[in-house]
Amino acid sequence: MKGIEIDFSSKTALLIEDMAEARILQKKMLQDFGFKHIEIAMKAESAIDLLKRHKYDVILSDYNLGNGKDGQQLLEEIRHSNLVPHTSTYLMVTAETSIEMVMGAIEFQPDGYITKPFSQAMLQRRLLKLLKVKAQLEPVNSALDASDYEDVIRKAQSIATEIPVLAGKCQRIIGDALLKLGKYQEALQHFKRNLAERKMPWALFGQARALYYLGQFDTAEDKFRQLTLDNKFFVSAYDWLAKTLEEKQDIEQAHSVLMNAVSRSPKNLLRQMELGRLSLLINDPTLAEMAYRRAVFLAKHSCFDDAEVYLQHLRSIVAIAHTGELLPRQFDNFQNSLKKLQQNHSDNPQVRADSYAAEIELYYATGEVPTAKQLIEVWLHDIESGVASSPNSSTKALISKIQAAS
Amino acid sequence: MKKLDLSTVLASAIHESKNHVGNLLFQLQSLKPHVEGTTGMGVVQQIEEGLKQINDEWVEYLYLYRLSSNGYELHYDCWSVEEFLDDQVFALQPAAAAKQLDLSFSVDASLVGVFDERLMTAVISTAVYNALRFAKTAIELSAEREGDFLIIHVDDDGQGFVSTTSAKAHHDDDTSHTGLGLYFAELAANAHRTQEKHGLIKRGQAPKLGGARLSIYLPQ
Repeated sequence: MKGIEIDFSSKTALLIEDMAEARILQKKMLQDFGFKHIEIAMKAESAIDLLKRHKYDVILSDYNLGNGKDGQQLLEEIRHSNLVPHTSTYLMVTAETSIEMVMGAIEFQPDGYITKPFSQAMLQRRLLKLLKVKAQLEPVNSALDASDYEDVIRKAQSIATEIPVLAGKCQRIIGDALLKLGKYQEALQHFKRNLAERKMPWALFGQARALYYLGQFDTAEDKFRQLTLDNKFFVSAYDWLAKTLEEKQDIEQAHSVLMNAVSRSPKNLLRQMELGRLSLLINDPTLAEMAYRRAVFLAKHSCFDDAEVYLQHLRSIVAIAHTGELLPRQFDNFQNSLKKLQQNHSDNPQVRADSYAAEIELYYATGEVPTAKQLIEVWLHDIESGVASSPNSSTKALISKIQAAS
Repeated sequence: MKKLDLSTVLASAIHESKNHVGNLLFQLQSLKPHVEGTTGMGVVQQIEEGLKQINDEWVEYLYLYRLSSNGYELHYDCWSVEEFLDDQVFALQPAAAAKQLDLSFSVDASLVGVFDERLMTAVISTAVYNALRFAKTAIELSAEREGDFLIIHVDDDGQGFVSTTSAKAHHDDDTSHTGLGLYFAELAANAHRTQEKHGLIKRGQAPKLGGARLSIYLPQ
């Protein structure tokens, strides 16, 4: 700690808080500390928009953010998509009662938390400490931001010996870096060593992932199960358990584990996508459509606003159409997602081709062959002018079938 | 009628009450600029301290509930004990000052320990609030490493534990107090476990201050 001076006046901050009173109070506190620049977001979605455009040294986010995503979901999303560099400091403001959900989400944790109610002096103290630790870990975090995991390990090892109190954090970072590098056997030994003395959830999680990557699915399943039992807020463990069960060809069980995870944490887009995928695998296109529709809804203002989300939704509706039980409402859903896809992703020729393919297949499956034929003509025209890609082999076969039909 | 699980009902009632206290504290903050420099400030500070203590007590009871219903999973991390104690003194200083008591800590700056910081924060505040009721002039926190244990001491200069053989010592046979505090400390210490050892608490005499000493042993 000694020798590191923190000067807030060179730092920028993003304050995310939905309650007006708290926002005003906390902003004033940050101003009093002397922050150079403070920006404000009232909810997770607007925070993501800001984070996409700017870098902040400090992010102070409330856990409770009203109706949208909560602070933990926001954190998971931005960590997952590397929207916030490791060198930034993320401080979560929680009530004593929601802190468990933050601490329990072992995979993505904030750098620190502060429980309400807190005084200005308490916040200042907490921030100073966090920023000092950030400064001490700067070499490791810079290496993480550069995705240079060999370097991460070297730096973390040297900090662990120099600063004993950071040893635990460094061990954890080293284990995750070994997994990133694909050194699964080494990672497994590393996590086991850390588990020898004490049951550390992060080490158990690391061990389970190493086992998964090593193809030892039975043992991995046990470990992931243990994690779900130990900590009901650690929903990622359910995701991993489902992945493991899928590897063991137990799709039915994988699906039910994921259903459970989604009911615990429905606002995670990637989890909804997984549920959609598994639902299609067990031939339940109606469930798949619900999951993908939810994903489409979540994609707005998220880091994962990807064409694939919309395309999968379209495909799940096509799958329903093939069963002959397409409802008018579901047809409307198709049009909605198609419109969103065209609005946001139509400059990508492949996406354009994929959406034509889904649309043509839908009309074919519902017996509207003339419409399907018209669309084929439009697509061919788009291919000629270079704005759409060509159909893949299975779509080609479908197109010939439609063109041959009368 | 379905039989209620009373402890769960109480826990959630405490929960709500605690949030309410939090809101009051919050509103009090916005009052401060208006009374700054007036005699009202002293009263506001007293109310603030009182509410903070209620808040901390509610937190203790919630942990107690979770620990006794096995619903609490510990979050171990590595901490500088000096910083940890510094944080506790910082947070509890106003409560001590309000009673004209001196609250301090002394510890080797290099001492590092593995424990659940939030849980131990609740334990130390419980122990200090308890000591506030008995100390004459001073309370001191300290810590040391003994074998496989990190030991945190909370010492005061009160009259000390009346009888060391009795399970009910002076700190908890006070009729105004339920003895929950010590029970909580015991559960919290015990929840700290390594493969072979678990934590515990001991009561004794404070060597320097002469009053009571509560020692919390945490396996490392």
